Amino acid sequence: MNIQDNYLKNRKNIFFSQNKDIQNHREKLINNFVNDRFDRKNNESLKNINLKNFIDFKYKYLISEETSVINNNQENSYSIVSVNGQCSNFKDDKIEITKILDEDYNDFSENNTIEKNDHFVNLNSLFLNSGFKIIIKNNNNIKIKISNIVTDDDLTIFQKNNIICQEGSSLNLIEEYENKNNSTSNILNVIKLEKNSQLNHFLIQDNSSNHNLIITSHSSCKKDSTYTQKVYNFSEGYVRNFHYSELIETNSEADLQGIFFLKDNNTSNNKTFVKHLAEDCKSNQVYKGILNDRSKATYFSNTHVDQVAQKTEGYQLSKGILLSDNASYFSKPELKIYADDVKCSHGSTIGPIDENAIFYLRSRGMSKIAATKILISSFINEELSSIDNQQMSEIIQKKLIRYLSKVK
Amino acid sequence: MFLEIKDLSVKIENKNILNGLNLNINKGEVHAIMGPNGCGKSTLANVLAGKEDYEILDGKINFKDNDLFDLNIEERAQEGMFLAFQYPVEIPGVNITPFLHSAINSKRKRMNEEEIDNLSFAKLLKSKASDLGINIDMLKRSVNTGFSGGEKKRYEILQMSILNPDLAILDETDSGLDIDALKIVTEGVNKLKTKNNSFLIITHYQKLLDYIKPDHVHVMVNGSIVKSGGPEIAAEIEKDGFQKFQ
Repeated sequence: MNIQDNYLKNRKNIFFSQNKDIQNHREKLINNFVNDRFDRKNNESLKNINLKNFIDFKYKYLISEETSVINNNQENSYSIVSVNGQCSNFKDDKIEITKILDEDYNDFSENNTIEKNDHFVNLNSLFLNSGFKIIIKNNNNIKIKISNIVTDDDLTIFQKNNIICQEGSSLNLIEEYENKNNSTSNILNVIKLEKNSQLNHFLIQDNSSNHNLIITSHSSCKKDSTYTQKVYNFSEGYVRNFHYSELIETNSEADLQGIFFLKDNNTSNNKTFVKHLAEDCKSNQVYKGILNDRSKATYFSNTHVDQVAQKTEGYQLSKGILLSDNASYFSKPELKIYADDVKCSHGSTIGPIDENAIFYLRSRGMSKIAATKILISSFINEELSSIDNQQMSEIIQKKLIRYLSKVK
Repeated sequence: MFLEIKDLSVKIENKNILNGLNLNINKGEVHAIMGPNGCGKSTLANVLAGKEDYEILDGKINFKDNDLFDLNIEERAQEGMFLAFQYPVEIPGVNITPFLHSAINSKRKRMNEEEIDNLSFAKLLKSKASDLGINIDMLKRSVNTGFSGGEKKRYEILQMSILNPDLAILDETDSGLDIDALKIVTEGVNKLKTKNNSFLIITHYQKLLDYIKPDHVHVMVNGSIVKSGGPEIAAEIEKDGFQKFQ
């Protein structure tokens, strides 16, 4: 079914279909798809992707009643089970969770940093069927764990979330994606950090080979706020992680880290984009990938320093290990600097595992496979040892051991 | 015979490096190989340790009644062969202590010996490090990462003393060492010498052989041994250079 018919047929189930402005916006998006007005060659959202598979889909969505929010007051922690992109409403003196509303849609559609020709974001806007908004109230220090569950085969989840950390608040957010069914989750997160707030955002992705996960997120940081994102992708299915970050007021910071572990025919596309729009801000983008068999990955990293953003510090690094001659990793770091008093760097290193290091370890009695595994672990040692959450660290270690057990 | 190399010819990338090399080492002996740059000394060390970049054209090597070519790199190490590298490889993120612990236990496993536990290993490592003047803090670092040239060589000898090999090959261990470090390193080697193990020392200079007394000295030119004798050969080379052997 073509995209227009698909949309018209399912419109009654799609969020905000009655809103005229939103409808107009969606019609424009449909026209773009129908007229195919996209530059495929230079479109970063299309690398290694057969777009047809994602455009000619059968729309299916189910509302589940099994969502829950459990509050553990003693530890200021909350466990959320989000089912098919939905979450229960919840409110106390520290946090508030609600369904997204028409007015939140503009946060997404009018966002100028997220690329307008990103097909997945446009599909998300067209077929939006789920999502929630979390507000961390002023000066609260909160931990939240969200288990993102998809209940059935063939579901197409189009979800938008809004996370707001109010002034002086701190949020430690762990999101788990561990789905084993044949479905697609297309998620857009818009994150706002008010003055002097902090968000440590961990994403653990471990889906089966028939589950597609597309995450696009956008964070904006006001004065003295810090957004940290750490993504650990162990999925056997397609995963896309795109993150856009805007440092809009002084002394704010974005720290974006990602590690992906690929094997078989799997593909992962990654992008980080940081816009420095104020003085004295810092950013750090580090992505590392380990690719086996015939797996493929891309990583685009961009740092844009506006002319007002003096005293910027912006660092980018991408590294990859190719465990097979048939694996490939395309990395493109970009710096655009319009201010003159900045410290910025970028670098990218991709190659097979260091044969001299393997020889050295084997010459001490270690088997080739043990030497390979120890070198893979050492490659990401810095990132893993920086995880200060014991539970998280154990989860990642277990998944790493599972990945290494398949390395021959 | 402990190590017997017979008519060994080796090439790499279409260039012949070793040409019919013969060398015999008995248990308890210290042999030194001296030779000019590019004569094939390090190639010999790497071929013995099992580096796979080389093509063996001809010849045989027997080590402790094994055909060496039947053993892969780690099996050679587990059988008691040790190469102290000329340029030890930096491996960030691999901590020295668990790496060495795992190395010693892989050898013990092959020898059907009981594995050494964490506590006993920590004690052994501390005592050996102290003998070599290695600061305990260094053992918390990653393998060779950020080490000075002298520290790297000292760390090679520490590994050797922990693994206690039957045949240790020292590939230009003296290069990059100041006189004090040279003394510490050679004392470490001398402490390890027994009538049951052997050493093959590769060097350019006689200086190292002032501290480690060899039983036999060989001159290597163009990939073969052209002269063998006692320590007097080293003195001869020091005086006249390698020119007359070429």
